[in-house]
Amino acid sequence: MALRIAVLVKASLDPNMLRSKNNGLLDEHAMPLALSEYDKNAVEAAVQLRERNGGSVTVLSVLTWGPVARRLREFEQVIREALAMGADDAHIIVDDALVPGDPASTAEALAALAKALGGFDIYIAGEASMDMISGQVPARLAALLNLPYIGYARSIEIANGAIRAKRDLEGYIEHVEAPLPCVVSVTGEINKPRIPTLIQVRRAFRKPIKRYSVADIGLNKVYKPLISEIRVISVKRRNIVIEGDNMDDIAAKLADIIAGLLPR
Amino acid sequence: MKRGWLMRMLGFTYNEEGLGELAGLAAALGLEAYALAVGSRDSVADYSYSVFKRIYYAPRMSTDQAFAVISDLYDKIKPDMIVAPSLKDNTTVLAMLASNKKLAMFTEAFGIVLMEGKIRAKRRVMGGRAEAYYEASTPIALTIARGYYAPPASSEKGAGLEEVKPPASKLTILSVEVKEKGSVDLESASIVVGVGRGFRRKEDLRLAEQLASLLNGVVGASRPIVADYGWLSEDRWIGISGKKIKPKIYIAIGISGAPQHMAAVMDAETIVAINKDKNAPVFQYADYGVVADLYKFVPKLIEKLREKLGGR
Ligand SMILES: Cc1cc2nc3c(=O)[nH]c(=O)nc-3n(C[C@H](O)[C@H](O)[C@H](O)COP(=O)(O)OP(=O)(O)OC[C@H]3O[C@@H](n4cnc5c(N)ncnc54)[C@H](O)[C@@H]3O)c2cc1C
Ligand SMILES: Nc1ncnc2c1ncn2[C@@H]1O[C@H](COP(=O)(O)O)[C@@H](O)[C@H]1O
Repeated sequence: MALRIAVLVKASLDPNMLRSKNNGLLDEHAMPLALSEYDKNAVEAAVQLRERNGGSVTVLSVLTWGPVARRLREFEQVIREALAMGADDAHIIVDDALVPGDPASTAEALAALAKALGGFDIYIAGEASMDMISGQVPARLAALLNLPYIGYARSIEIANGAIRAKRDLEGYIEHVEAPLPCVVSVTGEINKPRIPTLIQVRRAFRKPIKRYSVADIGLNKVYKPLISEIRVISVKRRNIVIEGDNMDDIAAKLADIIAGLLPR
Repeated sequence: MKRGWLMRMLGFTYNEEGLGELAGLAAALGLEAYALAVGSRDSVADYSYSVFKRIYYAPRMSTDQAFAVISDLYDKIKPDMIVAPSLKDNTTVLAMLASNKKLAMFTEAFGIVLMEGKIRAKRRVMGGRAEAYYEASTPIALTIARGYYAPPASSEKGAGLEEVKPPASKLTILSVEVKEKGSVDLESASIVVGVGRGFRRKEDLRLAEQLASLLNGVVGASRPIVADYGWLSEDRWIGISGKKIKPKIYIAIGISGAPQHMAAVMDAETIVAINKDKNAPVFQYADYGVVADLYKFVPKLIEKLREKLGGR
């Protein structure tokens, strides 16, 4: 069975490149967008499913950080990364009404887009985005599309029109089965995302990316963003790098420091 | 609580102990509380805090079944807040409900403040390195961050229990594998030695164990060591998706210093980092850093500490 696979990827603010203003507020405009860490696992899982079952992998994504005009090129670069990893094409939603994003609006937009594209056999997402960590979008999408949802999968396989997965939960692993179509979220442990070769990166530039506005997909209700401000938690540490003539010397110095700090 | 309005809460939880957190929240905020819990009548009864007007329960429910049941309860009870302790499947069920009822939702909330028709709360974002301030009108769905709401002071039990019958499920649970359980209490440890992917083999963690036992401390780990390799049990997992710790000394060995890990150790009094890459982000979070190969350095550190601390 040739599968129509959708993979949901987010262009997240990169928390490894955290920037703040003098007043402690997050300087989101100074932070780059990057393909969210576990969405790479989602893309890898999608590409592996296609390799095993045949079919196609379509990237779906909503831009959630503005300003839209300035972020557009960066956003496309993130999408190209997913295409370079092996996805076939991409459909993206870019609209001021969806910026800054809220998981409710994002899920509504993705559901409207999926419907406009005729639906997919399986939707694969990450367990949580690396910037907002809300863990809501895939479950919301499943509810909107009225499909079964398999969250936190650390392995998936498809046979006879059904999906089997191992869900990684607190304290136990649950083996489940659901009929297709279905929405799945994957953990960071499901696979090791491939790093695209230069040729794949170049080839990705020829793969189609189609852009939509909120009006194009017939979305009328958008939720109001709920965040009033974001404050960076400041880190004040001594940042002393212990140096010495040799390893023994450094070890002795650190041992001194640690011994001095030990509770009596 | 003296105020002219009352908020009604519908709690939900997959683990019965979660009823304690929900009761604590309801007591602290003065809510009229109802809950749906997954568990047997007996296990739920153990947590039937009298702050609940009623607790609905079913012994087993897949996420789609729980979603169907809580949707019905939502229509019946008309709560202002739908709340769950932060647990993966709790988040799933609430997100599905929120989507279905067109509600806003935020996960892992703390610092919750109520006003008439409104709620304010905070949550961690950016890999845990920043705090976002949320304001929303009710009704609202939220999960509460672990460790903020303890069970109520009055442990009086006896809330009314009512069994619910979930509809058929599209998900078939084939089997359940219980993970190996550890009993290390990282949260109250005063010395924690953290191990990361710089360790090449499970046996090599012995080095960290030696160091920890010399200091009367315990070994914790980054996510890949626990979740990916399974070298240590889940109670050792440090990070935004594991435990948050506040030891006197945290010694990070072979850990790169990802925000999702470091966000959970920011309350440590002193942080020591040992990493062979001088550009590793972990050094930005450290009071004392050593740029070295852990395989060469840690044995020496253990030797020097032994000399210093004598027969400990
Ligand atoms: C939503 C989300 C949630 C997450 N939750 C968590 C969480 O709760 N906890 C968590 O830990 N992570 C979490 N992560 C993952 C996190 O982003 C990192 O991938 C992870 O913390 C990296 O673990 P590490 O430092 O052990 O491995 P790596 O990043 O691979 O670092 C290994 C380090 O070891 C050093 N090293 C290698 N060999 C040696 C040697 N011989 N001697 C000394 N040093 C050496 C290397 O220089 C490197 O810095 C989460 C990510 C996301 C997106
Ligand atoms: N803006 C978005 N566009 C496409 N997919 C998204 C978007 N936001 C979240 N997702 C998907 O939903 C998952 C969980 O995101 P979140 O709910 O933000 O934690 C991500 O890993 C993505 O797979």
